[in-house]
This record gives sequence, structure tokens and C-alpha cells, in this order.
Amino acid sequence: MKRKNLSFYFRIYCKILAQDLKSKMSYRADFIISTIGMICTNISGFISFWIMFRNFPSIDGWNYYEILFLYGFSLISLTPVQCFFDNNWSLRQNVYTGDFIKYCFRPINLFFYYQSEVFDVKGLGQLAFGIGTLVYAWIKLGLGFSVLMLLKLIIFLLTASLIMIALQNAAAATCFWIQNSFYVLDLAYRFRDYAKYPVTIFSKAFRFIFTFVMPIAFIAYYPSLVILRPDQIPILSWLSPVIGVLFFWISYKIWMYGATRYSGTGS
Amino acid sequence: MAAIIEIQNVTKEFKTLNRHEGLKGSLKDLFSRDYKIVRAVDNVSMSIEQGEIVGYLGPNGAGKSTTIKMMTGVLEPTSGEILVGGNAPYKNRSKNAQEIGVVFGQRTQLWWALPLIESFRLLKDIYQIPDKDYNEMLELYKSLVDIEPLLHKPVRQMSLGQRTLSDILAAFLHNPKIVFLDEPTIGLDVSMKAKIRTLIHELNRQKNTTVILTTHDMGDVDALCRRIVIIDKGKMLYDNDIEHLKGFFGSYRTLKIRVDGDMNAEAEVIKTEVPDFKVSSDDEWISILVDEDKSKVLDVLGLLQKSHKIRDMQLEEISTEDVIKKIYEEGVQ
Repeated sequence: MKRKNLSFYFRIYCKILAQDLKSKMSYRADFIISTIGMICTNISGFISFWIMFRNFPSIDGWNYYEILFLYGFSLISLTPVQCFFDNNWSLRQNVYTGDFIKYCFRPINLFFYYQSEVFDVKGLGQLAFGIGTLVYAWIKLGLGFSVLMLLKLIIFLLTASLIMIALQNAAAATCFWIQNSFYVLDLAYRFRDYAKYPVTIFSKAFRFIFTFVMPIAFIAYYPSLVILRPDQIPILSWLSPVIGVLFFWISYKIWMYGATRYSGTGS
Repeated sequence: MAAIIEIQNVTKEFKTLNRHEGLKGSLKDLFSRDYKIVRAVDNVSMSIEQGEIVGYLGPNGAGKSTTIKMMTGVLEPTSGEILVGGNAPYKNRSKNAQEIGVVFGQRTQLWWALPLIESFRLLKDIYQIPDKDYNEMLELYKSLVDIEPLLHKPVRQMSLGQRTLSDILAAFLHNPKIVFLDEPTIGLDVSMKAKIRTLIHELNRQKNTTVILTTHDMGDVDALCRRIVIIDKGKMLYDNDIEHLKGFFGSYRTLKIRVDGDMNAEAEVIKTEVPDFKVSSDDEWISILVDEDKSKVLDVLGLLQKSHKIRDMQLEEISTEDVIKKIYEEGVQ
């Protein structure tokens, strides 16, 4: 048997993805309706955002376009978790009914196999929306452009994505221990809304929680500072890539540990 | 030949909370540390050779699924040792998975939205099956069952029978050394059952695949298994050939007769004439359970013919189902 390296998994993923897209297209109405839904969600989110800023021209020293930048940044960084890890939402159901056992019989990584099963196309609409917002804010802020800045942006976007994925993995994995874990997952999902705002607007206690307990401040705030406020970057911003990788690794371990504890229901 | 599965003194225990009744009891449970240990599998040992089809039987909750989960690497035994193809399944789940195929009753492991052929192609990549072996296997499948209409049908549109068939084919696809089939014929119609039995039998014969089959359908056992293992309450009750099992309770046959006159009264008379055997009666038949080690059925019939006017008769062999039922109810002496 050949060793299963990264390129093996990449190839498998692409094949599963291609098949998945093919089958999704066959449910045409479903595809169109969910795309429209996604667009509406984003537009309504944007409108409430805009109304708020008509009344308060700046929040804690952050002007409209800077907040818009943060908003776009968080939308883009939420795309991978939406696209590639959406099956986490079904984990609870799979564990509860005992269907999860089928993932244990394949000679490939359990976490990979489970997540590869679902690719959520809706995330792509969000990505387009996020990029549009970010570019618009970037131009209005007159940030200029250099290859180094683009590189920084990409690295910090990846970081932010990893943290979001880690949060969701850990929240979803709670279902291996507790029955009604939906609330945990839902809580993690709701908390990410706060990622769109500068963490300095929250009280000290929440600032601490969002930085060290549920690190959502790393989803957009700390990374954005690198681009937006290059003269006053806190050490936490530079640390965010490390924290992103670390959190992802921890959440993966928790998930896998939960899965091995799983014993399945009788049949 | 070396054993492909070696199980030695395996025990599996689960810790469960002692639950109390009622709302008050539930509140108590929240803080209770009152656990009890349930032994799902109790000191089981067996050794299975390459190419065998073993029927793994037992009533519901006997510990069958738990044993299978240990052999497939999903559960770790509390004590004892399991070796599947020389590997400890739990310690090396991924490697073990390469050597086995699993079908779990009504839960499909195929990709729900994909046509069967696409599922096969994905499995080919996941198990890294060489082109040649893959094509040979598909040719073999085509010669055994009519899979053409299934290949391009999404799994979600299949009937239960078609899906089970597809799942079995998928489990054999990478030519594993062992295939575990957990109630493969549950809920299927008679002709589908027959088709699936033939398929399993042929794949076992042609590929020399070891098959571990759990079922409640004795038709499966009669059609496929030469050896059966029976387990109840976690303990092993029986492990031997199926022929041996039938002789286990002596060689019984049931003689049914219909006589002139009042059946119940006649039955009472017969009871005194053949005191060694169990006699029962309903409105249609008088049944006599004859132990052929004591006297032959024909002798009993001859005896009864002298004093009764026999209008009709039937002879019933004891079935595997009867024997298994007897074991479940009474255990093995």
C-alpha cells in the first residue's frame, strides 16, 4: 500500500468535490433558491450596517470605511468554514442516530473523510460579496497597493479562517460528549457576528474573552490592524498566524479524540 | 491454514449510569456518580480461517454488534486480544480498514447523491485499487448480478434491495480479506434475499473472502454458513458446524397425524401409547415429537395405526430456526 500523503488527500478531495458539485447542480431549484437566500442575507446584513453608520459616523475612532474593511475582511475569512466544514452542522445528528459509524470504516483520515462529504456552494456568494466590500473600502481608504501588503493580507486572511474553523470544530465536537450540543454550535456561530467590530468597543471583560477564550478578535480585528494601522500594531496581531495554527491543531485533536470515544448505537 | 481472525478472551465493559425514575430521580441523576458496569461481551474466544463463512448469531442485545465493532476497530476491548490479519484493529484502524469491508444493515455507506459507478470510482481512489483489479472486479460483478441498471442510478433513488446489493458490492470492491455483513437481508423480499445470498456465496467462493454474517434470518444461515457461533448475554454459547447443531438436541422429527373421531380424546389415548414423546394437539393435527434415537418414526406410525384410523399424515424435520430458538430460550446444557 502506498503512503497517503497530502497530494493523495488533495486528489481525493478534488474528486469528491467534483462529484458533489455535479450532484448539486441536479437539484436546480434548490441551488437557485439557496443562492438567492445567501444574497439576501448579505444585503440585509449590509443594510443594517449602513443604517447604523448613518447615525454614528464613527465607532471608537474607527470611521465608516475602516469598519467596512473589517466587515469585508470577516466575510472573506468566514468563507472556508462555510464552504469546506459545513458538515460539522450535521455531526450531532450523525452521532445521535448512529450513522457516524460509517465514517470509521475507511482507510483514510476520519476528520478529512467526514468533512470532505459536503461542500457548500453558498459560501462562494459570500466570498464575492466580501471581496467587493474589501476592495471598495481599500480604495476609499486610499491604502495604496504593494505586493507585500497583498501577501500580508492573504496570510492574515488564512489565519482568520483557521481560527473560525477551529472554533466551529471544537463546538461541533462537543456532541461526542453531550446530547444537546446544538446550542454550543449555535453560540459559536452567533459569536462570530462580533468579529465584525473592533474589539476595543467592548468592555474589558469581553475583550479578554474574545481574545483568549473564544478568540474571535483574531478573525478580523487583530489581523486588520496590520493593514489599517501599521503604526500601532499590537504584538497580538503578529501572533495571530501562530495562534490560528495552534487553535486549529487543538480543535482537530479534540474532534478526533471525541470520534475515537464514540461507540455508536446498537443496531 | 493460518487464522485470519484470532480472538482471545475478549471482554468489553460499558459504564452506565444507574438511572432513577421520575422527575426527582432525573434530578438526582444529574449529580449521581452511581455507575454500574455492564459486560456486553464476556470472555469470548474464537479463531476464524481465511475463506470461511461464519454465522454470528444471538438474540437482540446479545453483544454481536459490540464484537463486530471491536473487530472493525471502532471499539477497544476492555481486556483480551483481537488480531485481524495480524493487526490489532483498534490500534491501527486505518490499516485494518484496508483489509476489511463492512455492510451495516440498512445504513448505506455510499455517497447518497452519487450514481453507484461514481461511488465505485471514489472507492477505487480511496482504497488505491489498481486499474486491473478494479476492472476484473467489475467484470465479476457483471457476471454475477445485473448491475447495469444500478450503475448510473443515484443511491438515493434506489429501493432498499438495490441499495443493499450496492452496499455489498462496494464492500467487496477492494477485494478485502474479510467482509462483515450485519443483517444484510433485513427487510428484503424473498427474491432479493435469494439474489443476495447467491451473490455472497459466489464472492466468497471465487475470491476466498472470509465472511462474518450476523442475521436473525435462518434462511441466510442455511443458505450460506457451515459454521455458526452463538452468543447470548455476552457469553459464547456455541461454536461449531451447523450439522452438529442439529444433532445437538437428539435427532428429532415431528410426526403429525389426523385421525377419525374426537381429536382431543384421541390425543389423550396416544399420550399413553407413546409415553416417551411429547404429544400436542389442535383441531387439525395431533403432533408427536419423535426422538429417532429412541424409536423410528415409521415404528411409531405402525404402532398408532393398530389402534387409530389415520386419515392423513405429515412429517416435519426440525429446522435450524427451531434449534436456535430452543438455544435462545433454554441455553445449551
